Amino acid sequence: MERCRLSYGNFTIMHQLKSYGPVLARWILGGFFIYASLDKLAHPELFARAISNYQLVPFGLENTMAIILPWLELLAGVCLIAGILVDGANLLVAVMLIVFITAISQALGRGIDISCGCFKVTETGRSLGFSTLVQDFILLGLCFWVMNRPDRTLEIYPKPV
Amino acid sequence: MFPTPPPLHQASLIVMATIVLGIMSNTIRSDSIPWIAEALAVTDKISIETETSEAPILQGISLEQAKKLFDDNFIFVDARGEEYWSEGHIPGAMVNRNFMELTFKIDSIQGRTKPVVVYCSDDDCGSSEDLAYDLQYSGFTHLYIFKGGWLSWNDAGYPTEISQ
Repeated sequence: MERCRLSYGNFTIMHQLKSYGPVLARWILGGFFIYASLDKLAHPELFARAISNYQLVPFGLENTMAIILPWLELLAGVCLIAGILVDGANLLVAVMLIVFITAISQALGRGIDISCGCFKVTETGRSLGFSTLVQDFILLGLCFWVMNRPDRTLEIYPKPV
Repeated sequence: MFPTPPPLHQASLIVMATIVLGIMSNTIRSDSIPWIAEALAVTDKISIETETSEAPILQGISLEQAKKLFDDNFIFVDARGEEYWSEGHIPGAMVNRNFMELTFKIDSIQGRTKPVVVYCSDDDCGSSEDLAYDLQYSGFTHLYIFKGGWLSWNDAGYPTEISQ
């Protein structure tokens, strides 16, 4: 009875959730990272300042990070949404999130009141807070879901076998 | 099960593409930035005006200019770690134990528009510039970075102070 209620053709709802859940997680992660990259790509100088405010990067290298990091976010996001090199993109996103979580935690711990620099690097950007950390932990959880996906539904390359 | 490149290889591909895109975009765009942030130039004149209508000031200053601002009783902030500050600092210089506490103290003493001098150990340290930018971001509009820092001040034989 229970099986009939949850079944659709040969596939159960649980089976579809297992396949399409990680796809949804990919799209959410990809969407977040593409959106996060756009303002940084438009304003590299302001993003360099936002990086510098975290007081983590040795002076001078914040510019290099401000030039490279937005492109990394954009490419990783596009790969996740398009289903190209998903494992690699997911790994990069997870590493970036761990770095962000570390940077935010130390800034909060040291009482540095700065703009997050997460999505908007202009003056309207939101301040760094506990909610930013929660958001990054949730995104990291999505990364682990994608990492442990059972199949390669809606992925272009590498093609599913 | 899947004949796919390992995640690390895939990630390397994406990183390589990223670096190429970063180099290309920063070369082509009109508002490109230097790959390494440049240090502030030392200004040849300082202003103790406190008008807020002008653009915010954030400039490097020399030893002599720092001494003049010290004689005029403006606030000095030591951007070094507290352990170094304890061993010796410019008299009256504040230490950055907690950034919010520091901004509150400066604000309550002389507001946000009068000159604040920030220094660290010497010409090569970057913490004074980082702290100055943080102060500017917090609304302080008149910031000077004492380029020679603690070493040049101490070598010049100017007054120093030891605190616990």
